[in-house]
Amino acid sequence: MSESKFETVSSLVDNYQASDDVFDELVKDNDMSETWQRYHLIGDTLRDELPNSLNLDLSASIANAIAEEPTVLAPVVKATISQTIKAKVVQFSKPFGQVAIAASAAGLMVIGVQQNVADNDSLVPNPIVQTIPFGGVAEPVSLNYQQNSRASQQQAMVEQQRRFQALLQDHKQQLKFTALTHKESSVEKVKTEVTNTPK
Amino acid sequence: MKLLICFIMLVASSSPVWSAETKSPETADVWLARLSQSLQSLNFSTSFVVVKNNHAEPYHWFHGVNDENVELEILSLLNGPRRDILRKNNTISYIEPELPPYSVLSSNLRGPIPTILSGAVQDLASTYNFISVGKSRILGRSAQIVRIVPKDTSKYGHWLWLDEKTGLLLKLAIVTRKGQQLEQVQFTHLDITENPAESLNQLQSTELPKVVDIPQGYQQQKLSWEVNWLPQGFEKINANRHRISSTKQPVEFILFGDGLVEVSVYVTQSKEQTRPVDFVMDGATVALNQVNNGIEVSVVGKIPSTTAKKIADSVTLLSRP
Repeated sequence: MSESKFETVSSLVDNYQASDDVFDELVKDNDMSETWQRYHLIGDTLRDELPNSLNLDLSASIANAIAEEPTVLAPVVKATISQTIKAKVVQFSKPFGQVAIAASAAGLMVIGVQQNVADNDSLVPNPIVQTIPFGGVAEPVSLNYQQNSRASQQQAMVEQQRRFQALLQDHKQQLKFTALTHKESSVEKVKTEVTNTPK
Repeated sequence: MKLLICFIMLVASSSPVWSAETKSPETADVWLARLSQSLQSLNFSTSFVVVKNNHAEPYHWFHGVNDENVELEILSLLNGPRRDILRKNNTISYIEPELPPYSVLSSNLRGPIPTILSGAVQDLASTYNFISVGKSRILGRSAQIVRIVPKDTSKYGHWLWLDEKTGLLLKLAIVTRKGQQLEQVQFTHLDITENPAESLNQLQSTELPKVVDIPQGYQQQKLSWEVNWLPQGFEKINANRHRISSTKQPVEFILFGDGLVEVSVYVTQSKEQTRPVDFVMDGATVALNQVNNGIEVSVVGKIPSTTAKKIADSVTLLSRP
């Protein structure tokens, strides 16, 4: 195990570009793999990227899993690329789809409302015949009945107001006419004074 | 035993009123007598404002007594269409937009101030207590406060602020039992002069409109209904059939009065079978109206609405109208 070997490993850990031969040699050499693993662990520790529980046998379990997997004949790199692209497309198209559904629902609603309005219009009597409700604004038929009762109520109120006004006025008027007979004694006094006053 | 308890309760309940009444009954009486005297004898020119609900009505009021001892008086409403009341002793002339000018024979003109204040105020003593409550400052003068408080809870009280110097009225308020002021007459200017004002001298030389001829017995007609409940002190002073001037509706009418306030009761047939009770307030004046069994009963006067309702409910028909 020479110094140069460890240097190679160190430079590889620091993302230094190396030839495939160096990699092959590194994989085959057990000592070098361990060194590779240790260097990475040191690097992770320094960068504070240590997992909560250290599984130092990770490489062994990965090696086992790879050994058990069936051999794939198709080029692996291409497959992964297409997968990422597909995933991305799905990710983008999903919200678009939701928006599209919402939009179409809104469209249905608009159509529905328009149909409703159209239905109402057919129920409203001919605008020429229709009288304008009390409020001065034509309203849908369903509200018109209430409007009518409200109008008659308002009319009753106006009538009542007029009645009260008439009563208050008449009360005052009667008081003026009645002033004479207010008190028997004062009436007597008035009468005598009237006869006494020279005129 | 029961009688004794009743008697004790009666004494206990009436004693505070009695003590309040006797606290200074003479001074209140004296002040009111002085007010009455001053309103009849002084030459004054004054302005006042009647404040009710949310509006104010300004008036100008002249009063004088000429060399021949004839009382002259002018009361004019200053806002809106002309409403003048002229008086030469016992002839009162009303100049109003609704009717051609007319005169009636009376010693008191009907304005916003109760006529009894310039007459026999003492007559009210049977149904009202006169209470002197102290002094205040009104219209820049020191004023004596006298309250005319009803013995009966179904009426309003009248509070008077009287000028200490002359005894004349400076302010008048109609007040509920709880002390809420419904209507106020606030004087804004008062001039007391040696001689009658110039306008009164002019009045003296003018011819007043024709006196309205009220037929004998017109005001004591027999009607087919009666009122069975009235507040203390109210008596019938006029009963007639007439048409309400603005609506031309025929009514049977009785006017009741207790000396200070008057209540009109109207009975007429209605097109409606029933109409729930409804009322409006014009200052202290209530106008209440209801229809039961096709008979419409209306009550108008300066009384609480509950009292008016009680009066309306007590109307019974003697025979078919």
